[in-house]
Amino acid sequence: MRNTMKVAKWEIKRNMKSKSFIIGLFLTPIIFLAFFLLPDLFSSDDEEATTTVFVNDQLGIYGQLEAAATNTEWQMEQTDITEQEATAALEGEEDAAYVFIDKQAVETGKVAVYTHEDTSSAFMDEVQILSGPLQMLQIEQLGLTPEEAAVVAQGVVFEDASEETEEGGLFSENMLEHMIPGIFAAVVMLSIVFTGMAIFQSASQEKKDKIAEIILSSLTPADLMQGKIIGYFVLGIIQVVVYIVIALPVLIWKIDFPVIEYLFVPELLVLLLISVLGYLLYAALFVGIGATMADISTAGNFQGMVMMLPFSPFLFIGPVINDPSGFWAQLGSYIPFTSPGVLILRLSLLEEWPWMEIMIAIGILAVSVWIFMKLAGKIFKIGILMYGKNATPGEIWKWIRA
Amino acid sequence: METMLTVDGLGKSFKDKKIVSNISFEVKKGEIMALLGPNGAGKSTTIRNIMGIMYPDEGTIAFRNCSTKEIPRDKIGYLPEERGLYKNVKVMDILLYLAELKDYPLDRAKERALEYLKKFGLEGKDKVSVEELSKGMGQKVQFIASILHEPELLILDEPFSGLDPVSQELFKEEIRSLAKKGTAILLSSHQMNLVEEMADRLFLIHRGTKVISGTLSDVKKEYANFKCTINGSNSRSLLENLPEIERVEQNGETAVLYLSKHVHPAVWLKTLPAELDIQELSIDRISLHEIFIDIATDKNLLKEVGELHA
Repeated sequence: MRNTMKVAKWEIKRNMKSKSFIIGLFLTPIIFLAFFLLPDLFSSDDEEATTTVFVNDQLGIYGQLEAAATNTEWQMEQTDITEQEATAALEGEEDAAYVFIDKQAVETGKVAVYTHEDTSSAFMDEVQILSGPLQMLQIEQLGLTPEEAAVVAQGVVFEDASEETEEGGLFSENMLEHMIPGIFAAVVMLSIVFTGMAIFQSASQEKKDKIAEIILSSLTPADLMQGKIIGYFVLGIIQVVVYIVIALPVLIWKIDFPVIEYLFVPELLVLLLISVLGYLLYAALFVGIGATMADISTAGNFQGMVMMLPFSPFLFIGPVINDPSGFWAQLGSYIPFTSPGVLILRLSLLEEWPWMEIMIAIGILAVSVWIFMKLAGKIFKIGILMYGKNATPGEIWKWIRA
Repeated sequence: METMLTVDGLGKSFKDKKIVSNISFEVKKGEIMALLGPNGAGKSTTIRNIMGIMYPDEGTIAFRNCSTKEIPRDKIGYLPEERGLYKNVKVMDILLYLAELKDYPLDRAKERALEYLKKFGLEGKDKVSVEELSKGMGQKVQFIASILHEPELLILDEPFSGLDPVSQELFKEEIRSLAKKGTAILLSSHQMNLVEEMADRLFLIHRGTKVISGTLSDVKKEYANFKCTINGSNSRSLLENLPEIERVEQNGETAVLYLSKHVHPAVWLKTLPAELDIQELSIDRISLHEIFIDIATDKNLLKEVGELHA
């Protein structure tokens, strides 16, 4: 174990001293943030700027209009500008609209609205909100009793009468609340798995540089392999920490949601356990495959296929989102290579956790980790010393059986 | 002298092919033991079995003061035949890492590393990245790495391969001085001249089995018979009928006569018949180099020698 830690320390130190690792360390969260923030930045004109709505009210219902528009981002003002002057007046403004309420408008049911060219196209939909007070006015003019008026004004609404499902909307606030630990676990797993992919490079590099035999004169292949797995795990965690330090404050500020409060729930521990098991499983793959390859550029189809396994959960994303407790979701939870991703996704979506299933899935995952570590150890022991040559699947199979 | 390493009856096969079989030797404190043989003879396989990088099918390997099967890796220095270093790290970093793996105190390792870098003409290279070193420099760094932790037993697999003559001398001197200080050294090589100059004992293997072993002087006395080279036009039958001849190699005008073991050169010369055409004649001992070539090319010289003294 001491030797394992020495190797782990070395791998961490070696990477932390390498410029490309450091650049990657900070670049990924920044790129992530950029993708998150940029669309926001570009569309900020439409979303955030307030439209100034000038109302020329000749019927004295400005108060009601203002009340109807309380949920909008408008800046309402009364004005005396006439319809003829409106176009000229608009030129002096940036994002403004002129609304003309007069007798004719009530009679014909049509209100003239003049907008500036910078005003969002959505404004014309939004402005329909002002129709309420005008309709009331129309109804009043028909001389109905207040009760009758109320009935008419109510209109007809088509309502979903089916029993309300527990889930609600996919991205409703309630949903977001228990998705946060899942999202966090997914970020942790992706970070450590992506960083862990370098294990594969580290193992094959060791062969390429022909240093493996020198190293193995001081420790056992198992020490070396475990050291690499632990070392890159720590590097992945460092990546997570950098993520948190850079991205989390921005997210909290941006999405205006008590992220921290929802993050630190007991469920997070289960999710993190799944992440770590997932990492160990993929790390065993990477380290074993890395040891069979002379060079990354000479990777055969077989190695390439195995390298793709960590991405297999993506196959299940569609079916799982569709039905988080359906057949595909369950199947994905029981296949070792897809289960970390599928479990995290499912558990983020489900309000009630199927504990029995989770236990079985974690059990399968843990046993798989153990088996694959053993296999990787066998492959690593022989493969790491096979300089300058790729192992064929046949050879690998022989090592495993040995 | 204390025996540091004992190899007894070592055998190893890959698939059905026997790579080495029945290899037995020992390495004592303060001596240089040479493991010789042509390429593919099984030298590296033997060494890898000693280092626990492979596991022997037969036989045992024992280290001094080590009753268990565990290999005392901290006390062994190893320079493999196929060797290299991490590319994108500093020279000192890798030296210290390798010393740390051997549980050697780091401050002392650093001190010694600087000392050795200076000795090998690499002063000031400690902060240089390994990829900037020339091949020769890299080999020096690897050598330093193998001796930095003051090993009791040093195993060098082809330490001279790829070195220029100056560096070869440097390595030779350092290996000798380490032996003098009490390090047991097992050295594999196919450069006989170098081995002849420095080894105390040798063990020659071919096709995985022992051919010759013993101290250098014993081996020379035992196997390095006299050979007589004659320039002149002589028939093969005439040459073959000369006394004390084991084998004749004739190439045009030049004939090499391999003499039997206990021949006395001066006495033998007197027995030469008058009809022998001699333009030039020289008598000398067969060198280790020739013995080696002989084995590697499967000539029968040694076999005859062997049979004679069987």
